[in-house]
Amino acid sequence: MSEVVLAARGIRKSYQSGGLRIEVLRGVDIALGAGESVSIRGESGSGKSTLLNLLAGLDTPDGGNLAWGGEPANANRRATFLGIVFQSFYLIPEIDALANVLMAARMVKAPGAAERARAQDLIARVGLAERATHLPTQLSGGERQRVAVARALMNAPKLLLADEPTGNLDEYTGDAVVELLLELCRETQTALVLVTHNAAYAAKTGRQLFLRDGVLNGSNSVDVSAR
Amino acid sequence: MPWYLYLACKQLFPSGRFPFFTAISVLGVTLGVAVLIIVTSVMGGFGYEIRRMIVETEGEVDVKATGYLSDPQDVLAQISATPGVAAATPYVKGVVGVQANSRPAYPIFRGVDVGTIERVANLARFTNPPSAIANLDDDSVVVSSQLATSLGVHVGDKIEIYSPLLIEKLKNDEVFLPREFRVVGELYIGHQQLDSSTIYGTLRAAQELYGLGRSVHGIYVRVKPDVDEHAVVARLNTTLPRATTQAYSWMESWADFLWVLNLEKSINFFLLLFIVIIAAFSVMSSLLISVVRKTREIGLLGALGARPRDVALCFCAQAFIIGLTGTAIGVGMGFGVLAIRNDLVHGIARLMQRQETLRQFYQFSDLPSHTLTGDLVMTVVASIVISTLAGLIPAWRAARLKPVEALRSE
Repeated sequence: MSEVVLAARGIRKSYQSGGLRIEVLRGVDIALGAGESVSIRGESGSGKSTLLNLLAGLDTPDGGNLAWGGEPANANRRATFLGIVFQSFYLIPEIDALANVLMAARMVKAPGAAERARAQDLIARVGLAERATHLPTQLSGGERQRVAVARALMNAPKLLLADEPTGNLDEYTGDAVVELLLELCRETQTALVLVTHNAAYAAKTGRQLFLRDGVLNGSNSVDVSAR
Repeated sequence: MPWYLYLACKQLFPSGRFPFFTAISVLGVTLGVAVLIIVTSVMGGFGYEIRRMIVETEGEVDVKATGYLSDPQDVLAQISATPGVAAATPYVKGVVGVQANSRPAYPIFRGVDVGTIERVANLARFTNPPSAIANLDDDSVVVSSQLATSLGVHVGDKIEIYSPLLIEKLKNDEVFLPREFRVVGELYIGHQQLDSSTIYGTLRAAQELYGLGRSVHGIYVRVKPDVDEHAVVARLNTTLPRATTQAYSWMESWADFLWVLNLEKSINFFLLLFIVIIAAFSVMSSLLISVVRKTREIGLLGALGARPRDVALCFCAQAFIIGLTGTAIGVGMGFGVLAIRNDLVHGIARLMQRQETLRQFYQFSDLPSHTLTGDLVMTVVASIVISTLAGLIPAWRAARLKPVEALRSE
C-alpha cells in the first residue's frame, strides 16, 4: 500500500446528554493511503459527523490514537495536511470567491504570486473563473460548494474530509460536486473521506464503510494492525 | 499581511456596502477625540496667551524691589552682566486715580524707560499708533482700550491723574492738584484685566507721581532665546542683594493662576476621556455581537488551521483599527473646529446679543488655542489604547470557542 495518510485506531467518543452518557463511537479503526477514497455511511445520529470532526482534529476523542502521515495529529499541522468541505459551505461572506480560496493559504503564510496563481487555477478548475470576484451571496449553493472544494485543495493537502458535501444541494448539483471532488482528488492524489447518506455517491469511492453501533464495518475494511 | 489583519479589515470595511456598524463605532471615538483636542487646546491656549501677554509686556523675569530700588543703575548693570540676560529695563508700577469727562477710574500706572522698554517688552504691537510708547514724554500717556472707552477719551484728549501722595498731602492740609496728561495712544492686548486698567507713562512721570525721586519699584528682564528663565532667576537671586531685591520668573509671578489653569485642564481631560471610554464600550458591544453572529465563521477559521490566539488577534485588530480610524478623524475634526472656533463663539454671542458679556467675563476677546505636543500625544495614545482594550473581551470570547461547537452553532 502507498504511504499511509490517515491511521485511526480504537477511536472512542461519548457525550453527556441529560443524565445519560451516550457512547457514540466505540472503537473505530480506519486507515487510508495516498490517493485512496473511502465513503462512510450510516443512519442519522450514528456519529458520522462526530467521527469526521475527530479525524480532522477538531474534537478530542475519549480514547484511541490518530495519526496523520505517520505522525500524531496536531492542530498546528491542520492547515497544510488536510482540507475540509462542510455541508453548509462556510464561506466568509465579506470576501469574494477567490479570496475565500486564498484564505486557506493565508493560514500558512501571506500569499504571494504562486499562491494567487494556484488559487486562480483551482477556481477555474471548479468552473468558476468568471465568478472569482463575486461575493458568496452572489453565488448559488452549488457554486459556493465548488468554491469550498477549491479552498479545501488550496494547500495541496494529503487528506480531504468531506462531511455530507451535497446535503444542502439538489440532486443534479450534488452529482456535479461529488464528481468534481472525486476527480480532483484523483488528479492530486489526495486521500478522500466522504461522509454521505447517498449510496450512489458512496459507490463511486474506492471503499464503502458503514458506521453502525459505534463501529465501522464494510467491504475491504482495512486491517490497521498491519500498519 | 497576517490573515487576522486581512480579515479584520475586510470585516470592518466589507466591499460593496456601507460599513454601518463600523461607522457608528468610529463616530463615537471620533467625537470623543475631537472634544478632547478642542478642550485641551483651548485650555492650553489660555496658558499660552497668558505667557505671551506677560512676556511681551514685562519680559520673562521680574526683579522686584523690597519697597523700592534707590540705586537702579547699579542693579541694572549687575543684571545685564548675568549670563542668559538679553536686556533689562526699570519700571515703576502702582495704582493711581484718574478722572476724565467727570468719570473716575483707578487703573495701574506703569512708568517705563522709553529708551530701553522695547528691548524687553514688545509693546509696539499692542499700541495704536505703534510708536505711541516710543514717543511718550513726561506729559503724555497711553491708555488701555477699555479704560479709554469707560472714561470717554480718545487720542488727543486730556486726563487728570491723581497721585497716591494726595492722601499724605491732605493729612498735612496741603493742596495737591492732579496732573494733566495728554492721551497719545491706546493699548489693546486682548486680555480683559489689562485692557481695562492700564496706563503707560514715562518712568520720570511715574517717579514724580509716587515721589520716588530716582528710585524704581523693579526691573523687567528679557532672557535670551532658548535660555531657561528659571536658571536666570536662580543666578540673579545669587548675585543680587537679597535684602533689597528678589527675582521671579513669570510663572512664579502668576503661579496661582497657572496652577488653577492646569488643574482645570487636567480635570477636563479626565472627565472628557470618559466620552472615549463610553465609545469604547460601544466598540466592545459591537464586537461581542459580531462574535455571536460569526460563531460558525470562527469555527471555520479553526477548521482551516487558525490558532485561538490568531482568532483573538482578529477581533483585537478590529478594535485597534476602529480606534486608529476614529482617532485620526477626530484629530482632523478637532483641529477643524479649532480653526473656526472664534467665528463660532462670536456667532453664538451675536445670536444671543452677549458680545460684551463674553468680553467682560472671559479674560480674552478671542478664544485662544494652543495645542501642546504632549497633550496631543496623550489624547491619541489614550484613545487608541482604550479602543484596543475594548476588543479584549470579544477576542477572549472568540478564542474560547471550540471549532466543533462553533460549527454546530445555530
